Amino acid sequence: MGGWLGAGKTTWLRHQLRCGLRAHVIVNEAAGIAVDDAMLSQAHGLTVLAGGCASCEGRTELIAALRQLANRRSAGETVPEIILETSGLADPAAIIATLSDDPVLARHFRLIGTTVLVDAVNGASELASGDLAICQIRAATALILAKTDAATPGATARLAATLADLNPIATLSAAVAGVTVPLPALKAAPLPLAQATRAVTAVTLPIPRGADWASLSLWLSALLHAHGNRLIRLKGVVRTPAGRLLIQTVRHTVQPPEMLPDGLGADDILAVIGDAPDEPTLQASLARFLA
Amino acid sequence: MCNACGFPARTGHWTDARLDTPHDRLRARVRRAQVLARVLRPYGMAAHDDGVTDGLILSTLSGASVIVTDPAELWPTVDRLAGRGFDPLLARSTIACL
Repeated sequence: MGGWLGAGKTTWLRHQLRCGLRAHVIVNEAAGIAVDDAMLSQAHGLTVLAGGCASCEGRTELIAALRQLANRRSAGETVPEIILETSGLADPAAIIATLSDDPVLARHFRLIGTTVLVDAVNGASELASGDLAICQIRAATALILAKTDAATPGATARLAATLADLNPIATLSAAVAGVTVPLPALKAAPLPLAQATRAVTAVTLPIPRGADWASLSLWLSALLHAHGNRLIRLKGVVRTPAGRLLIQTVRHTVQPPEMLPDGLGADDILAVIGDAPDEPTLQASLARFLA
Repeated sequence: MCNACGFPARTGHWTDARLDTPHDRLRARVRRAQVLARVLRPYGMAAHDDGVTDGLILSTLSGASVIVTDPAELWPTVDRLAGRGFDPLLARSTIACL
């Protein structure tokens, strides 16, 4: 779980716990003192990491905490789903990379999703203030606009359009004190963001039917190696002889592909978000590998 | 797990997903080497997988040759041998390279 300082992460989480979500919560405080843990007393278990932000100097502490949970589970203890409440200054992509790069954690944990909360009142100024807020939004699989009751429907709609523009593949919803509320049904233009951040585009690339997985994965690994820094997220469903395979990446990190049940959703497409090359370039590049 | 040091081995590389049988894995290895050989030719490199060596063999026109056992190391090794970054988005013809 991510989101800017004061976006409403703890409030949202506290409500989910009160509603019966069983989870072990790891709270990370950038400031070095933990104040949130008192609010999360209903969690199944609670670990507080107060030694700095888990995406940089608190990394080792996060790895140690997760390894300890893995040990406890291996010893027979029940450890439910884990929610990591990141500090407001964390880059979720760096934490996801930590999970998949650590040889122990990679075997014990599977990433379910990245939920990022955005403050409906201050979100617009946070987005304008710098890259970190935008990094957080782009790493999300679910975006939640919090405190929409304190913002005008027009401003909320505008922020929602901006978020959809920044990260078209994440789901978007709104919540007040953790309770889901409808998004305003207004149509609005996205906020004008700085030039550098506007360069983000989303390209949907059709994958030729029956494309061979060995060649396709080789192409993807080459693409991520050469251009991973500017491809913020990549998500796609590929039909292989063994079934439908879900592929997700955050920058250079690829999550282990998952099998999907048959039937639901579109097949053989790849959504690429970031400072992405145009579709014909990607198409031609893929064709050279599949030929 | 390595019995000597006790460190767990790395998890399988994501490109090996759904390659469940030895037959599938071998076929994917050979297929990958074929594709690599084709896309690396303009860079003056060759790729070969004999199915016996534990890894893919990359070689250059000047005779350098490296066995790549870890799929994660493939593209960094290609960059190093080629002396420049491999860019899958660029169409390089062999003639342009000569």
